[in-house]
Amino acid sequence: MTDKRPDVYIEGIAIDIGWADATRSLTELIFSTTRRAIDDGGKSLDTVDSVVLAAHDMVDGRSLSSMVTGPAAGAYLRDETRYSDDGAAAFAAAVTRIEAGESTRSIVAAWARASEHDVEAVARATFDSFFAGPFGIDELQAAAMRAQAWIRLGGDVAARADAAQRRANAARANPRALKAGGRSPVASYPLKEADMPRFADVAVSLTISAEPSAVRVAGVGQSSEPYWLGDRKLGRLAGLEQAAQRALQEAGFGPAQLDVVEIDGLTLFDEAIGLEAVGMAASGTGLKFLANDPRSNPSGGAAAGYCAPAMGLARIVEAVMQLQGRAGAIQVPRARRALATGSCVVAAQTHTVVVLEAT
Amino acid sequence: MSHVAIVGVGQTPYRRSHPDKSSRELIWWAAKEALNDAGLGIDAIDVIIAGVAPDALAGEVAVDRTGMMGVGKPFIRVNTGGVTGSSAVFAGASYIKARRAKAVLVFALERMGQATSSQQVFNTIFDPVYEKDFPLTTITMAALRASMLMRLYGYTPRHWAEIAARNAQAARKNPLAHLHNDITPEDVLRSPLLAWPIHRYEACPMSEGACAMVLVDKSMVGKRKPAWIQGAASTSDCYAMGDRIRREGATLVDLLSLSMSAKRAYADAGVTNPVKEIRVAELYSAFSSAEAMAYPALGFCTSADGPRFVEAQATDKSLPVFNPSGGPQGANPVSATAMVRIAEAALQVRQMAGERQVDGVERAVATGQGGATQFSTVCVVGAKPNT
Amino acid sequence: MSDVELISIPGLWAFNYNYFAGQNASRFFKELKENRRIMGTRCPSCKRILVPARGFCDACMEYTTEWKEVGPEGTLETFTIVATQFPGLPKPPLVMAYVTLDGADTALINLVYGMDLSDIDAAAQKLNKLPRVTTRFVDDPKGRITDFSFQLQ
Repeated sequence: MTDKRPDVYIEGIAIDIGWADATRSLTELIFSTTRRAIDDGGKSLDTVDSVVLAAHDMVDGRSLSSMVTGPAAGAYLRDETRYSDDGAAAFAAAVTRIEAGESTRSIVAAWARASEHDVEAVARATFDSFFAGPFGIDELQAAAMRAQAWIRLGGDVAARADAAQRRANAARANPRALKAGGRSPVASYPLKEADMPRFADVAVSLTISAEPSAVRVAGVGQSSEPYWLGDRKLGRLAGLEQAAQRALQEAGFGPAQLDVVEIDGLTLFDEAIGLEAVGMAASGTGLKFLANDPRSNPSGGAAAGYCAPAMGLARIVEAVMQLQGRAGAIQVPRARRALATGSCVVAAQTHTVVVLEAT
Repeated sequence: MSHVAIVGVGQTPYRRSHPDKSSRELIWWAAKEALNDAGLGIDAIDVIIAGVAPDALAGEVAVDRTGMMGVGKPFIRVNTGGVTGSSAVFAGASYIKARRAKAVLVFALERMGQATSSQQVFNTIFDPVYEKDFPLTTITMAALRASMLMRLYGYTPRHWAEIAARNAQAARKNPLAHLHNDITPEDVLRSPLLAWPIHRYEACPMSEGACAMVLVDKSMVGKRKPAWIQGAASTSDCYAMGDRIRREGATLVDLLSLSMSAKRAYADAGVTNPVKEIRVAELYSAFSSAEAMAYPALGFCTSADGPRFVEAQATDKSLPVFNPSGGPQGANPVSATAMVRIAEAALQVRQMAGERQVDGVERAVATGQGGATQFSTVCVVGAKPNT
Repeated sequence: MSDVELISIPGLWAFNYNYFAGQNASRFFKELKENRRIMGTRCPSCKRILVPARGFCDACMEYTTEWKEVGPEGTLETFTIVATQFPGLPKPPLVMAYVTLDGADTALINLVYGMDLSDIDAAAQKLNKLPRVTTRFVDDPKGRITDFSFQLQ
């Protein structure tokens, strides 16, 4: 038995961002996306021995929703685990299974349909009933407070409109972005309409294996922050900083070597703060970076379509498309190294960072 | 090769409710006990895996996050319904085997003490398009299997009652169990009928509480008392029970996902003769009929011999001891129950099971069931690492 | 600490959802409503007729192809007699069962009528012998799974 941990590669990928497609039930949406990912990978389904999922009961509107959704993602008579966590976290867990020698090929899938559930109501329910819940706080309002804290710490908002514009242009040009429909939620000060995500129906699937292919997982890092918002330094994402450091250290290079960075952020400000957290932009300059630097969220980020908890996996798929040279109109030339992030409740409490390299 | 050992176990008592504890306090209680048992502080922990199943039972969407411990640790929540507790253990073991962690804290929290309409919540696990309009509940779905077992293999209501009474009596020796009822098979048969053939005293209680364990890489075992994870496997079946009824070789009551998991876990553990090599079996059997389906799936007897196997338990001391903890019929904190089964198996192997300790436990098996027996996990733990 | 009044706060979760049945389930329901017939779909790989009709076979991970009518008769595979009241349903006792309709490879769940339930154990003995049933539609089908039930022959 070799002492070296096996490398993990990403094979097939598929993403579906739409809105209220009544022709497909949730399970049919998941199936069609997973089927496309399996076909894209070009390997027989018989070689898949693991299915790792990210989905949430309250988003799906079913308790133990993986009973019906798991089989749609290929779980029949396979080892399947569903995380009620972000898609990038599930991706990390799937990677450990291959590294542990428990699996040789795995499907990883994540989904969420904003058109099927009340996004704000579920988000409100993530906050505790005693100390925060009574004020009706939800994820967007927590993000607004984070933005305000960042501004107070010296964050430069001058490039804010440009950043929003660049993002909107990217989303329009991205072949995979939401084409019609969707919903933008209400903005709370200091956030504005242009900072808001575009809620959509998102389904993402991919396959990973120990068999070499075009994109290698160079590093994975995860971390977390305290539960109470009041215990955190809200103007930055310390957990994301730590997760990125771990992932980049494992990859063996720094942020300056990255060609593409796909940051999962609920709002424009979260994307900007995230760019600072992973070391791409200096503290306070995240919005300016997002407005000007072509490496940052070429997909259009949350403007291309957003629904938790699928977004970390969506960011990974966009990064993979860049490295495979298949990103289309938004292709970053000669992209060889990419970083993707996924953050999850409560109010970006836990973080996963994945660093990828073209082989 | 076993890389991973359980060196710390912590459990809160399982009760209808813990009104004096917030959710995070329940998590900390179990976690602290596990860490103390392991002789480790939270700083020594590299990764935390949280297991919480139906959010609607707790009434809190991110209740696991309230239990955030330590600073800056990777933290991920698994939700696989009834097998959640075991999925969390398996995920923790993966991180260690992948060399991404040397010590992992896993915990599972059930907070259904906060629920006042839990049956409606359980009903939402079924397909809203085709099945919501029918009285499909955890009880009726077990009843559908129980009647099929009676038709196929000759089980009788008496067999269900004997299993339930055996579990109840065992629970009386487990201070952590929810129920401590001194009941006989006759008491079970006399209790009200819920859905034929299931009577009230056969149904598991609705319990809340938390369970936690510390898993370490073999290099960290040292002088600690380990229960080695010798084999672990998880398998998911199709959703629709109707799809399994006429499936060849693996009907609704054949528990295919459990037998597949058992085969893989036994292969890893080197178990070839389960009925002789397994001393204790902690089964996730929320109903007596679920236990009956587990026996052949785990290789203890054939399906046709099941009724005789139940009858023999009272007299044949060479058979494995089932659910010395009292099992889910003694306490069923749903999100945690599958972890509790592994924890109890580990305590047995480590000779730390108190009044419920069984003699000479070299190897124990713990199972998990989730959904309408759609998800099945098997975990073999032993006093020695397998080679 | 023991003299502190323990606080608990009542909560009510009332989340609204809008589940998309999808084209396939919608067609299944349309067939119930307009043609009073129960449809299955065939998997091109394992060849099973899956009922209720669905868009894909999860065992083979393939899209289903042809639509086929099944029933109206079938076999009652397994059952339970429900003793507790369920919102929106008739008073107990009620027979709920899985039935494999003729031509189908999977069973579906519904209520079964026509059994004398005054003696539960006697009824259970009879029901546990794979009796034949036939499908009975309501007078005014709405395109929901409750448009039909089963009747013992």
